[in-house]
Parts: sequence; structure tokens; C-alpha cells
Amino acid sequence: MNNEEKVDSVDHEPRTNETAPSVASVEKLQGHFGEQPPPVIEMAPRVLRYRTRRDFLLFGAGAMVALAGGAFLLPEDTLRRMGVRRDMNFPGKEWFLNRALRFDDDVAEALYSENRIVPTYTKSQITPLKNNYNGATPDPAYLSGWNLTLDGLASGLSISLDLRTLKTRFSIHEQITRLVCVEGWSAIAWWSGLRFDDLLSAYPPMSQAKWARVESSVNLDDSGNPDPYFMSIDLATARHPQTLLATHFNGQSLTVDHGAPLRLLVPVKLGLKNVKAITKITYSAEEPRDYWAERGYSRYDGI
Amino acid sequence: MSHSTPPANEPNSASTLLEEPGVLVAKKHHFLVRWSHWLNVPILLGLILSGISIYWASPIYRHKPDPITGNFDVASDIGIWICTHVPGLHHYSSPPDWLYNHMSLGPGMLALALRLHWLCAYSFMLNGTVYVAGLFMGGGWRSLLPRRTDLFDAFRILRYYLGLPFAKLIRRKWLHPRFNTKYNALQRVSYFSVPVAGLLSVATGWSIHKPMQLYWLSAFFGGYDAARVWHFWLMWLYILFVVPHVILVFADPWDTLRSMIVGWSTRVKRSEFTANEQ
Repeated sequence: MNNEEKVDSVDHEPRTNETAPSVASVEKLQGHFGEQPPPVIEMAPRVLRYRTRRDFLLFGAGAMVALAGGAFLLPEDTLRRMGVRRDMNFPGKEWFLNRALRFDDDVAEALYSENRIVPTYTKSQITPLKNNYNGATPDPAYLSGWNLTLDGLASGLSISLDLRTLKTRFSIHEQITRLVCVEGWSAIAWWSGLRFDDLLSAYPPMSQAKWARVESSVNLDDSGNPDPYFMSIDLATARHPQTLLATHFNGQSLTVDHGAPLRLLVPVKLGLKNVKAITKITYSAEEPRDYWAERGYSRYDGI
Repeated sequence: MSHSTPPANEPNSASTLLEEPGVLVAKKHHFLVRWSHWLNVPILLGLILSGISIYWASPIYRHKPDPITGNFDVASDIGIWICTHVPGLHHYSSPPDWLYNHMSLGPGMLALALRLHWLCAYSFMLNGTVYVAGLFMGGGWRSLLPRRTDLFDAFRILRYYLGLPFAKLIRRKWLHPRFNTKYNALQRVSYFSVPVAGLLSVATGWSIHKPMQLYWLSAFFGGYDAARVWHFWLMWLYILFVVPHVILVFADPWDTLRSMIVGWSTRVKRSEFTANEQ
């Protein structure tokens, strides 16, 4: 190495400091934020070789663990496409992935605040909302005999309410809010209906109740066969002032596409909790079953 | 440590110590930095693969549905294009899925992809915290701070890398720009912006995941839909970074790779380092 070159590159160094170790005198200390030369130590080459070998072995072991972890966690379909023919469905896999899902649900629940009002929009911001019935859209014939059944009430009775009662007995609220789908799309729509909270006050659930199961018995699967849709919703969310039992969409009575005559509109939850064509609400102390949770999605779905 | 008392049956151990002069080494990366650096490999891979599977469920880039196939997804178009133009892929069973089959966990597995994405996302946040802790505990953060001259210098180094293959081809002398810091300007710009991108990915991720409770965060990125676009393009930033990152670490002397695994570097004199490169 050329000596002049070395001097050249360190010419910012104060030359007066004769005692500075030459190996560490690379950078001028520029206060707290300036780069500081790393402490240099002398090491026997054997030690360096030993450490290198040890850490590379550790690194290799770590890479193997990561590979095994990937094989353990990846979906069956993905592994099959990668050419893995062995059955990789280990017993702990579902449990572990569901733990991650539960953890995320707990975070969502911790983030929820009953006083936090979700953003509302103006009518000019309304966007189209597609008919997102998971299966076939139900035949409108169900509308003529439609009733909302309430179960798990404090009175111990099972109550049936028709649409007229719901519309006349409760005050109607309206809001323009965003509906967010688990798939990633969203739509801003103008909804009106009664508050779930008002229904809870008028027909109080049994005292231990923490959950509501909201159900549509008219839901169909892809081939048009009955496929009842049921959702769990915690009562804390049901009591949120923006949780509606909607009867109107964009100023019109709900169409069959959008869940006539009554749908749940809960903007603090994913779209899949917004049950269309509700036929029954059951209050319970235990968390009820949930259509999409049984298909691998989360249960709480707070957004 | 065991190496200070070598076993007696090792014949030359004592004499080797005398014969071999000691090497000067400098601690280059704190062990938390090294661990979190490598953990990012599986975590980011998991995030990208599951993320594109989630993207499949509702693509951002779409057009009017094709009258025949009903396809509206630009990513499917790319798959179809690849299958028609790349030799050997003409008989691929589902061209619209080609991209998803090769760049994600696969199409049609939203629930599985979401679960993996959350698992990796929480790991990513934890790992990022460990990385930052390592930067502060080892003092490495000072070497990452951008400097005023970085932008210009980074272009000089970029020019060097881009011109290097041509210079080699015509056997012209092609000098590496000189620097006397831990990282050169291009490295510093990259190593500083990638963690910032990580932070932005986490922030956009939360604003997509909790657009109601964290509506202010969504609003910061221009709303829910815009946050999805940000989140998508931030992913490409990692891919764009990783490709030259991996190429350059193998093009560089092996000390560079070793220092990220073992922590020590034998290149203690930075002025010497630049001189060697020339």
C-alpha cells in the first residue's frame, strides 16, 4: 500500500495527536452522530478460524430450521406444487396457525373502543357496492313471510318481530360509511336503519349474554341449496352507535342483492360479519359458531 | 474458551500460535443485528408469498372483464402472456394462475394466506425491534445515518457498478470511488432506506388491517385504498433491493459475508480497503 495514499485518506485527522492508534484513526469523531471507528483487537488466526467455523455451522443449522419451519407452516397445496409428495399435515400445524389468528384477534379487540366513531363520508363519495352473496342470491319469495326472531332474551321468551314493527318502533339512523371486505376491496355506501343498541335496550338479552349469533336461514350455496349463514358478534360491538340493523341502502329499501329486508351493518368489522337477510338473533354467554371462522378465517374480525 | 487450552494431542497447536502472526479484526455487526438480518430472509419471503396470495383475492390492478374469459386481473394477463411467449410453457394447465403459482403461496387460499401473513407480520415487527436494538447496542446506527453528500456519491458508485461489466469487457481501468467510512454512499442510502421502508410497510399494513380503529393512519397514507397501493409497492422495494444486495455480497471479498455471520471483519483499515479495491 502506498503510504501517501493512506495519509491522503485520513487528512481530516488532527495530526497533532501522535498517540492515536493508527488502525483506529480512520474517522474523525463528529460528535455524537459521527461514525466511530470500531475497536480493533488482535486475534490469533486459529481463533478467528474457529469462530468462523462455529458460526457458519450455527448458521447452517439455523437455515435448516427455517427450511423445516417453512415446510411445517406452508399450505399443503403450495408444498405439493413445489414437489413435496409427503403428507406434511402435522398435528400442531393448525393449532399453531390458529394461535397466530387468535393473537391477532386479541390485538383487534384491544384496539376496539366503543367511543370511537368510524369516519363518515359525503354522498358524493359513495362508490358502487357489488352483490357479494357468497353463493347464489336467494329467491325473493322469502320476503313475504319474513320475521326477525330474537332468542336468549332476559324474559326467557322467543320473540318474533315483523318489518313494520321494527321500522315504526325504533328511530331510524343513517350513515355513510365504508364497508371493508376481507378480500381487500371496500365500498362507501349510505345506509339507514335502526341501531342494534336500541333493539338490545328494547328486548334485553339474558344477563350473562356476551355474544349474539346473527343468522340468515335464507342463504344459499353456489348451487342454490340452502346454506344457513351464521355469524358471531360480541355485544360490545353490537352496542356501538354505528352498528345498524339496516333497512335502506343508498336511500332505497334494501334489495334482495343487499340483504332485504334487514341486514347487519357493522362498519367496525369486516364485511363478512355484515349478515344479509337476517332471520334470527340469538344471545348467548358462550361464543357462538361462526360461518367463516369454521372456514379458516378469524372470529373477531375487528377492523 | 476452549481454544485457549488446546488439547495436548494436537501436535502443532503451540507452534502454530508462534508462527502465525495475529490478525487484526474489528467487530462489524452486533449479534442482534446479525440475527435479525438473517431472520428477515424467511420472514420477508413468507410475507411476500402470502401477500401476493392475499392480493389475488382482490387485485389492485384490473381492467374491464375480458368478454370471453371474464378475466380482469392484470397479474393473470401477465401469466397468460408468459405462457404464450415462453418456450416450454405453452401447455401450462392454467396460464392465468402462472404468476400466482410462482410468486405466491398460490391462488384461492385467502384464509391460509392471511393466517401466515399475520404470523410473519408480527414476527417482522418483533424482528425489526430487535434489529434497531442491535443497532443501538452495537453503535452501528451511526454508520447508517445519511450524509449531505450521499445522494451524489451514491450515483457515482451506481455508475461504477453499472459500468464495471463494460469496463471489464473492453479491459479498461475502472476505479472504485474512494470512501473511508464503514459503508459507501450507495450502501448507506440503501441500508438506511430499507429499514425505513420496513417501518412504512408496517404502518401501511396496520392502516389496511385496522382502517377503522386506526383511521388516522389510513388517512395519513391517503385512505384505505391508497394504503393498499403503498403496501404493494413497498414490497417491490424489498425485491429491488435484495437482488443487487445478494449479487454484490458474493462479488465482494468473502470477508463481507463472513462479517454478517461471524461479526468480525479483518478489513480494519478503511483507507486500506479503498486502496485494495483500486
